[in-house]
Amino acid sequence: MSSSSENSVQTFNLTKSYGEAKALDSLTLGVRRGEILVILGPNGSGKTTFLHLISTVLRPTSGTATVMGYDIVKQPLKVRESIGISFQDPRGFWRHKPYHILSFHASMYGLRGEERSKAVEDTLKDFELWQSRNKRFMELSGGQAKRLEVAKLFVHRPDVAVFDEPTAMVDLEGKRMIWDMIRQLREKGSTVIVATNEVREAEYLADRICIMKDGKELVMESLMTLKDSITGGDVVDLEMSAPVSEEILRAVRDVPGTVRALQGGERSLRTFVNRSEDWLPLMMTAMQGLGVRVSSIRVSEPSLDDVFLHYTGKEVVQSHA
Amino acid sequence: MLSLLKFELREAFDSVPWTVYYWIFFAFQYFVYGQLVSRLVVAVSDYYVYYGTGLIIIMTFNIGSWAGRRFVESAHEGRLKYILSLPVTRGQLFLEQLLLGLAVNVVRVGPPLVILSILGGLPSSVLLVSLAVLLLMSVGVMGIMISLSFVAFKSFDIYSAIVASMSALLLRFSTILYPLAFMPTSYAAVSLANPLTYGADLFRSVLGVDANQLLSPELSAFVVIAVGISTLTVGTMLVPRVLEGVKSS
Repeated sequence: MSSSSENSVQTFNLTKSYGEAKALDSLTLGVRRGEILVILGPNGSGKTTFLHLISTVLRPTSGTATVMGYDIVKQPLKVRESIGISFQDPRGFWRHKPYHILSFHASMYGLRGEERSKAVEDTLKDFELWQSRNKRFMELSGGQAKRLEVAKLFVHRPDVAVFDEPTAMVDLEGKRMIWDMIRQLREKGSTVIVATNEVREAEYLADRICIMKDGKELVMESLMTLKDSITGGDVVDLEMSAPVSEEILRAVRDVPGTVRALQGGERSLRTFVNRSEDWLPLMMTAMQGLGVRVSSIRVSEPSLDDVFLHYTGKEVVQSHA
Repeated sequence: MLSLLKFELREAFDSVPWTVYYWIFFAFQYFVYGQLVSRLVVAVSDYYVYYGTGLIIIMTFNIGSWAGRRFVESAHEGRLKYILSLPVTRGQLFLEQLLLGLAVNVVRVGPPLVILSILGGLPSSVLLVSLAVLLLMSVGVMGIMISLSFVAFKSFDIYSAIVASMSALLLRFSTILYPLAFMPTSYAAVSLANPLTYGADLFRSVLGVDANQLLSPELSAFVVIAVGISTLTVGTMLVPRVLEGVKSS
């Protein structure tokens, strides 16, 4: 882990409890200046709680964190001046119009007069909301409301920009647009933290990925390092001529080099193996011994989905963007 | 904080018909129902004026209650967590909510109060002092309602039930619609424990209602100020802890 002086956000045993339940459990991590950190985790893993804590929306039960060097417990106002958060559910401003919502947001961060008007206009155009600027919030579509929620952070470009599931409810074209905008934000100097359970989003955006489960960090590395970290670095998908029986599954698992074998469909198997070039002949021999023909073989690197599955035991949402 | 106040005021006054409805509702109650009921109530001297001032106090209570409830609703609608992330202190946020409630109170209660003072031939100085008393009462009511928000974060239904029951009791066990001297002893004892009784009587003292029907203005002023300060203090201390400690919706 890098030293805290290089980090825009640094947590120290950050914990949030609700009664006996720990939504976040002694989390200690650092987010480097100018990086995009994607926090990936199943629902209830503590992603949103983490974002709310570093944004001072919630107060930690124990531990603390710094944002741009300011302590979230002792200097919350300074933290709020340094961080901006785009929430998961854009709600609450039913009667306001997008132009007023962004203009108000900008004013809260000290933008005045012409500077504010220009920032609001540019942002509305960038997010394709200019035509809807005078509609009431309650008249916007789900996707438009979400884009408006994300757009807030582009009006004032905070030192640390935090996005909670930024493309939920957004169509495919909109997702790509938001991802590109988030990357631009990083290029303009902001540190970005994105919480998501979409693999595509993580793959597209992340400099590093933090996988969380049950309020704890399981691992935090770059995507490449994460893929390399899985024992059984090759993924081999097999299609059999006959339904996959227990006997076949056992035989595949017994092949030297097999790390894990999972049944995919009725006739398919997904295996994680060491050195597929050595493993494949051995597997073929074993299948011949059972009188089973292998009709298709596909060898690939593990995907982030596989990485996630490896660490959490749960599958994540697969976006088709 | 002023930007936030301006933003929320824009929304609060976005619905002009709702504000006009308040005035029409007052006018109907005062000029129609008030005339009728004041013919029935003869024991209280000039009950028509007494009733009119009572209506204004009820409006003030309802607006204070609305402001508190709105604060709680904003948490359930997801707006509050956004506001909590903005660069304002929790104290400023609490103050802003109070100012919002006061502003709404001035706009909605102001015109009816002006009508009463014109009909009663009261000078503008009296009008201003009476408005100040109403605002002080409103602060107390808002403080109570906002401070109760910790209940709402556990269960909004329980909060709504408590607020509705409390409102019904506070409005009825008070001198808002009938003077203390005309109440049965047990009823009067309960009403004396109600801060609204003191607020109502202080308001009427300022407007020059028959002093024989009212509590002493000094005592009333003391209670109203004490309740206002207490609820403000409790709210300032309690609300930030409650807001930042609860699981967001």
